Amino acid sequence: MNIKVKKTLHSLTGKLILSIGALMVAGSAIFWYFLINYQEKELIRNSTKYGHSFIDFMKKSTRYGMLTFQQPLIQQTVEAIGSAEGVISVRIFNPEGKIAYSSKKEEVGTVTKRIIPHTETGDQKNALKWSIDKDKEGYRRLNIVGTIYNEPACYTAYCHIHSKGQKALGHIESVISLSLLDKAITQQEIAITAYVIGFICLLSVILCIILWNFVSVPLSKLTHGMERVAAGELDYTVNIDTKDEIGELAKSFNAMTVDLSKAKEKIIEWGSTLEKKVQEKTEAIRKAQAQLVHSEKLASLGRMAAGVAHEINSPLTGIVTFAHLLQKKFDAGTQEREDIDVIIDQANRCSNIIKGLLGFARASAADKTAVNINDILNSLLNIVRNKADFFNVKIVPDYEEQLHYVKADTSQLQQVFLNMIMNAADAMDGKGTITINTKNITENGRDFIEIEFRDTGSGITDKNLEKIFEPFFTTKPVGKGTGLGLAVSHGIIQEHGGNIFVNTKPGKGTSFFIKLPANKEVL
Amino acid sequence: MSKGSILIIDDEDIVRISCKRTLMPEGFEVKTAQNGVEGLKMIEEEKFDIVLTDLKMPDIDGIEVLRLIKQRWAETVVIIITGYQTVNSAVKAIKLGAYDYIEKPFTPDGIVSVVYRALEDRKK
Repeated sequence: MNIKVKKTLHSLTGKLILSIGALMVAGSAIFWYFLINYQEKELIRNSTKYGHSFIDFMKKSTRYGMLTFQQPLIQQTVEAIGSAEGVISVRIFNPEGKIAYSSKKEEVGTVTKRIIPHTETGDQKNALKWSIDKDKEGYRRLNIVGTIYNEPACYTAYCHIHSKGQKALGHIESVISLSLLDKAITQQEIAITAYVIGFICLLSVILCIILWNFVSVPLSKLTHGMERVAAGELDYTVNIDTKDEIGELAKSFNAMTVDLSKAKEKIIEWGSTLEKKVQEKTEAIRKAQAQLVHSEKLASLGRMAAGVAHEINSPLTGIVTFAHLLQKKFDAGTQEREDIDVIIDQANRCSNIIKGLLGFARASAADKTAVNINDILNSLLNIVRNKADFFNVKIVPDYEEQLHYVKADTSQLQQVFLNMIMNAADAMDGKGTITINTKNITENGRDFIEIEFRDTGSGITDKNLEKIFEPFFTTKPVGKGTGLGLAVSHGIIQEHGGNIFVNTKPGKGTSFFIKLPANKEVL
Repeated sequence: MSKGSILIIDDEDIVRISCKRTLMPEGFEVKTAQNGVEGLKMIEEEKFDIVLTDLKMPDIDGIEVLRLIKQRWAETVVIIITGYQTVNSAVKAIKLGAYDYIEKPFTPDGIVSVVYRALEDRKK
């Protein structure tokens, strides 16, 4: 399975990672800013607090020297404290702004501008002031100033330098390096930044993997599946077996393709069955039409034959009459008498043919009553069995006992049945078995009776089968058959609302079926 | 003295001639008519013992001829000649009083025997 997963920034994964990344960078930056800011403030607060303690410590350290007015001791203390690590300078100003003591000895006695101009309002409770600036190397320095207030010990000291009215006796100014802290803060900033960047990268990778596996790949599978289905491959299924929304989507998609392929199958099936049904109907219509044409052909042939027969009767009457008249004029045994006999014989043959032809006309004038076909067959068989033609023919009746009655003309049906039996005997050359079967059948909700005449004869060839019901068609020797038997039978059965049809296998025998509508009202 | 007088009504020449040639030698007085109208006219003029009439004719058919004859000359024997024998028309003819019917093509012996039989029955 070759599934292409979109890898550009326009892909869902790309967009999600970009937006989440941007949000995280922004969030981290804000966090970072406030953290650093807070740390800075805290640092400065602590620094000034320590600065204040430092100034206090300075005051206490120099207090004894001040009270005893031991200036070298004070200078020594200031120098000692000023040499401590992180302390850049310590100065003690007198009220006039002159440097009284300094960690840098050379400064003592000079007037210099204080880094933070002190307020002369000595009653200020918290007169401590501070500022932050940067040294040459860029590290910050805390400049802190504390005021030395007058107190009883000062103005009662034996040196009497300070009067009671004085409020501020001087100032202590100290510059403390914050370089260590600055270094620590920078390191911390770098560490936090690195951490944030690392975190973002790691998170991006994890998100990328998660989105790739849970979103991009399944979505690509779905897209691929949709393309395949669109291309007509309806049995395609997407192989996603998760329980999340995409899994549900895939399930729905698979259900959809199954439905689609089922629908397609149904359409194809409908198409093919429709075709089959149309074919069946067409065949049925064609058969019905052929039957109709056939019946019409037989009917018109029958009408024509009857008309011809009628017309021929009169001239035939003349031939017969005059032949007989002539016959009487010649003695038996003469050539003339024999010739005239031939004329009479042939005229009689014509007469027989005509009688057969008139069977068509007779069919329409049938005298129909309710009859039992089994009875008609039985009385017919009694006559037939005694005929010489049937000495070697076995006739097997196989009747349904409760056979429906039929509304029919008995003599016409006898004519038809006799015809069937004679034909069967001829087909077997006078040797074999004729089975006569009767039964009740139901077709399309209508009741019929069916009579079958089955012989063990030679069968009928396909070529002849088309013509057997046509008048004058015969396979019997000239003079033996008129070719009218089946034509007349067909006409009679049709006139009775029935049907006659054949089932034959050349060499194996033939079955003639006669189907007649049952007349149940009689029962 | 003839054995009897016979009128043959048929539109076919050959049928009339055949009947005439069959029956005349037997000693009957035979007259012919080409159609129903002509035949009835002849019956008006003279009396016939037997009338042989065709069933199917162009103007008035044999059944009609039979009916008219039986209405006025009930004693006249009517025999139907038919080339188109059907059960219906035969039954109808007998009901209307026809003595019998003969089918075309008939033989001389056939027609002669029917005529003699009719005359015998008539005498009774």
